[in-house]
Amino acid sequence: MCDSCGCDLTPDHSHDSKVIDVHQSLLAANTAMAEKNRVHIEKMGAVAINMISSPGSGKTTLLEKTIEAMKDRLRIGVIEGDIETDRDAARIRAKGVPVIQLTTGGACHLDAAQIHKGLHLLEKEPGGDQLDLLVIENVGNLVCPATFDLGEHHRVVLVSVPEGPDKPAKYPKAFISSQVFIISKTDLLPYFDFPVEEAKAEALQLNPNLLVMDLSATSGEGFEQWLHYLTTICQK
Amino acid sequence: MHEMSLVQGLLSQLHELAREHNKTKVITVCMDIGPLSGVVIDSFQFGFDILSAEDPLTRSASLVIESTPATYLCCGCGKRIEEELKPEACPACSETLLSPEGGDDIILRQVQME
Repeated sequence: MCDSCGCDLTPDHSHDSKVIDVHQSLLAANTAMAEKNRVHIEKMGAVAINMISSPGSGKTTLLEKTIEAMKDRLRIGVIEGDIETDRDAARIRAKGVPVIQLTTGGACHLDAAQIHKGLHLLEKEPGGDQLDLLVIENVGNLVCPATFDLGEHHRVVLVSVPEGPDKPAKYPKAFISSQVFIISKTDLLPYFDFPVEEAKAEALQLNPNLLVMDLSATSGEGFEQWLHYLTTICQK
Repeated sequence: MHEMSLVQGLLSQLHELAREHNKTKVITVCMDIGPLSGVVIDSFQFGFDILSAEDPLTRSASLVIESTPATYLCCGCGKRIEEELKPEACPACSETLLSPEGGDDIILRQVQME
């Protein structure tokens, strides 16, 4: 430590300069916007979930099946995040719920400022301003989205059976910051080496508070537990 | 590679600080980055090197990154263990379920400007 000014730098620097103590998170602006989003979402009457996974883990299919099963009971709205195209939004729109597509144009994650914009766009969609459940489907990426609070109430991370069971160990941040871990595409278990119990145990080692479920959106196996979870969080 | 967008946020914060303190050149930037922040320190450094070189304010700035420890709460005996790398088991009771607390900071601690 420098004796002259008490800064953490080497002692040979010039003292024409000024040392400024900042102590502020680089994510402070994002976090402040996320807090505003949370208030905004609550004013819409909704509970928000942020779905994170690698590309192709089945987020959109899970969402389609969820809407089919729940749309008579819950008012669901969706914000889709992708790097390019509105294909996912088109799939969700076909299920008859309000949806908007955010394209990041290359960025590997959604941030709170994009969701702020997305909420205003969603409110202009028919039925988009009064919701019970808002689902934010993040850009397919198991790394970067985990760092950015969007204003969600719950975070859900998915790993599909073909991806293999080592994802929690390799990409810990997404699992540490989530409340729910879904092992998806369990209808493919006969064709892949995916020890479900080991994967669950490994995820719980990282985050003992995770709610873990395994399901197949295609066969419907294990789906009740997911629907029950959504019903429970929307009652709060 | 979200480190790039974090570095962009850092640079705009440095511009604000320079305006506020009437300075034109950043000499050193000190950051604390936790082991559970999801930030790869090498990638952050790489992003900083590229983006800071394009900007007159930061062209000659050096970046100092310190890794801060995380705390792990033992689900067995409730002991809090402070480590940079997650321990295999609780040193007190050998429980392997350890719940992480903190360690996810990405903090701009100190800036030296002239």
